[in-house]
Amino acid sequence: MKLFKYLCLSIAFISFNAYAQDQEQEVQTGHTNENKFKQLYDEFATPNMYRTGSGAPGPAYYQQQADYKMDIEINDETAVLSGYETITYTNNSPDILTYLWVQLDQNVRQKDSPSKDINSSRITPALSPSRFASSYMSERFDGGFNVEEVTATNGKDLPFMINQTMMRVELPQPMKTGDKFAFNIKWWYQINNHVTDGGRSGFELFPDGNRNYVIAQFYPRMAVYNDVEGWQNSQFWGRDEFALPFGNFEVNITVPADHLLDGTGRLMNRSEVFSKDMMKRYEQAKKSYDEPVIIATQSEAEAREKGRSKKKNTWKLYAENVRDFGFATSRKYIWDMMAVKIGGQDVMAVSLYSKEGNPLWEQWSTKAVASTLKTYSRMTFDYPYHKAISVHARRQGMEYPMICWNYGRPDENGNYDDRTKYGMMSVIIHEVGHNFFPMIINSDERQWTWMDEGLNTFMQYVAEQDFAEWYPAALSAGDDKYPSRRGPAKNIVRYMGGNQDYIAPIMTKGLNTYQFGNNAYGKPATALNILRETVMGRELFDYAFKEYANRWMFKHPTPEDFFRTMEDASAFDLDWYWRGWFYTTDWTDIGLKDVKKYYVSSEPNQYAKNYASSRNINLEEMDLVYLVEEGSDEFDEKLRQGTSADNSPSLKEYMMDNFTPEERKNIKQPKYFYNITFEKPGGLVMPIIVEFTYADGSTKTETYPAQIWRYNDREVTKVIASEKEIVSIKVDPKQETADIDTSNNSWPKEVEESEFDTFKNKVKGK
Amino acid sequence: MKFIKASFLVITMSLVMSVAHKYYVSVTQISFVKEQEAVQIITRIDVADLELTLQERYDSNIKLSSVNEDPNNDMHISRYLDQKFKIKINTKETPFNFVGKQYDNDLVVCYLEIENIKEINTIEMSNMVLFDLFPEQKNVIKTKINSEVSNLIFTTDDRNQYLNFK
Repeated sequence: MKLFKYLCLSIAFISFNAYAQDQEQEVQTGHTNENKFKQLYDEFATPNMYRTGSGAPGPAYYQQQADYKMDIEINDETAVLSGYETITYTNNSPDILTYLWVQLDQNVRQKDSPSKDINSSRITPALSPSRFASSYMSERFDGGFNVEEVTATNGKDLPFMINQTMMRVELPQPMKTGDKFAFNIKWWYQINNHVTDGGRSGFELFPDGNRNYVIAQFYPRMAVYNDVEGWQNSQFWGRDEFALPFGNFEVNITVPADHLLDGTGRLMNRSEVFSKDMMKRYEQAKKSYDEPVIIATQSEAEAREKGRSKKKNTWKLYAENVRDFGFATSRKYIWDMMAVKIGGQDVMAVSLYSKEGNPLWEQWSTKAVASTLKTYSRMTFDYPYHKAISVHARRQGMEYPMICWNYGRPDENGNYDDRTKYGMMSVIIHEVGHNFFPMIINSDERQWTWMDEGLNTFMQYVAEQDFAEWYPAALSAGDDKYPSRRGPAKNIVRYMGGNQDYIAPIMTKGLNTYQFGNNAYGKPATALNILRETVMGRELFDYAFKEYANRWMFKHPTPEDFFRTMEDASAFDLDWYWRGWFYTTDWTDIGLKDVKKYYVSSEPNQYAKNYASSRNINLEEMDLVYLVEEGSDEFDEKLRQGTSADNSPSLKEYMMDNFTPEERKNIKQPKYFYNITFEKPGGLVMPIIVEFTYADGSTKTETYPAQIWRYNDREVTKVIASEKEIVSIKVDPKQETADIDTSNNSWPKEVEESEFDTFKNKVKGK
Repeated sequence: MKFIKASFLVITMSLVMSVAHKYYVSVTQISFVKEQEAVQIITRIDVADLELTLQERYDSNIKLSSVNEDPNNDMHISRYLDQKFKIKINTKETPFNFVGKQYDNDLVVCYLEIENIKEINTIEMSNMVLFDLFPEQKNVIKTKINSEVSNLIFTTDDRNQYLNFK
């Protein structure tokens, strides 16, 4: 054999080309570090004075400020919103700015907006006449901003240029560090029907002509300028959300006098816009911690919605340190409120809904708001604003500071199924939770959808479980805990085990991902939940997660700031976890490849004999303990009897020589030896969780850290020495690692009843 | 009559438009269980999309909901799947039994079965579910037949897939 190989090599040497193919196995090549535990230095930005290696803001960290004064009016007859704003921009950066970028998000609805053109389209072979008409015969709705004026405070026009959804405003002179610059914009736009035309803002039109307005992205908003992006230059294409600087907002909103209105900020002229009854009920609500108090009743709303007031009311709101502003207004609104204690302060949990949302909304909305604030405050920091509003809006789920729009509508008779009920509770918990991520922990949603949606969906899971615990009446019959859709490991298995052509890594810009919901919400939420429950444990995870929230509260974090803080505050090297779960599309699949059982014997086994003869050793002279495999030729049934020491005189003598009788009595003496081989067909490295079931029925679970895979990414072996016989072994018995194939998880192989057979038997059993 | 039909189409149209930005993939598992001489199929479809499609095709009053569910719903779903989901085994058209369905959050999970299949040499599949209303729809079929696993994608451009085990 050896000679032949040598011969081959010499032939190959002579005629290298002809034999190159055959020689591949013999020629080694080098490689770069492909270890799953390789540090993330290549992927992470280099730490600097703005953002440190610990994941905290650095000594030179800065952020810009944008303060707004706005006068807004909605004309309910024409559904036109017009506004005038003065933006005061503060340059806290060390850089000199020569222009400002302002976001015109409504321009995504301009008639000639390219936002629709980035989606491919194809012929639908059969379609209804109305779809045909809307697709090919109708004009596009024109809902972009009409900018009428951009001026300096001295009234002089400022040159500006609009590129799609972004407007560049030229500064009269460059802004240095610390400079403030104020300018005015006057604009109007046609409000879209968000039910028919889509969008995260707009109105729902009712058959009687009434409209519920949920209004956001309604004003030209400052773009973010920071140390990682410079000016934010990623356009709004309709999906990826927003990046916004913090500031103070003074907003006066004029609507018909029979409208109710609530929005971001403190209502500064409550006594002017509230009736006496409403004022009285509001005072009661401030003291009601268990049940919401109805401020504006359904019968009052039904009376209001019949009229069309020609008079106007101006609602004055003031908000400090918010990144955005939204409001909702309608003459159809019912309004309720309840106080909730957060860190010694009273916060108002508020709901606005029209009668179409009842009975569901008056039962659950405000309680869901209050419950969410409690959970998030415990996991991050005390909710710093004075209120949180949940507004009922058809088919919406969208968040703004202190206010959000949520779906969930019973049918015309007030009936609803679990899908509607849990859907409504889940979306309220989710959108209220967004007050923390990204409204306060202000990540760049346009770049990284998962940083707000993923973290928030993880928190939503925690909050949903709390909500059902605190309000068990919210559960339907048969449910003993909240049926959270996202969070539990097993719920992501179908996505992660799916077709790779339609999966993108989490670290992908939201606009460019397939299966947006799974990519930006489900998978990161599950990854964090697994990190908390299985990899790190709650104590380490919760401390680090809270640290991240507090470090970046009212600041602008990046993905690395999160990744680094989680490691920095826990002494848990997680580079491998971030790499696998966030930078790749790998999945978990860990199984049992082989289990061999051994007993102790005094007879030399074949292995020892071979070893001895090859080295001319006389085994008789050696004191060795031999292990023989059950069922092999060397195995003797007698070995099942007696202890290991009984079966191995050399072991017995060793024990007598080295331990006192007292020690020998208490010494652990394993009798069963198992050589267990774990295989890992999946690319993700994860801890191996193994449950051993013993002959006496007891069980024991062991967890081997993920680092067990650091030398061999395919296969690892473990020896278990046990006093009790093991009758079965199961990997990941509680389905907590998102293992996509559990058919290789059991020894002896368990034939699980298939999902199909389970269902079929259930149907037959009826 | 025509007026009524036209008006409900307007409503469904509006529903389609507001959800048109979402990205859909239905996932179907097809397994050949030799011991049972059966092909077992589990298909998961977005419940809102299927509801809209059934409304537009058959009856605007169809509501897929576990509360006070209309017993005819199974018939509508089964009829629709018969039209849009076709399987030929060993070159012969093989209709499936609709065993039943259940709701799982936003999905409706349908269980279909083809009985009396002793062996599979070839299988031809066509999954056009929801293509009639959602041209961007993609349907994935995962097969486990004769211990071979395949992952197939069906789009409006690519409606048929064929596997040969001979």
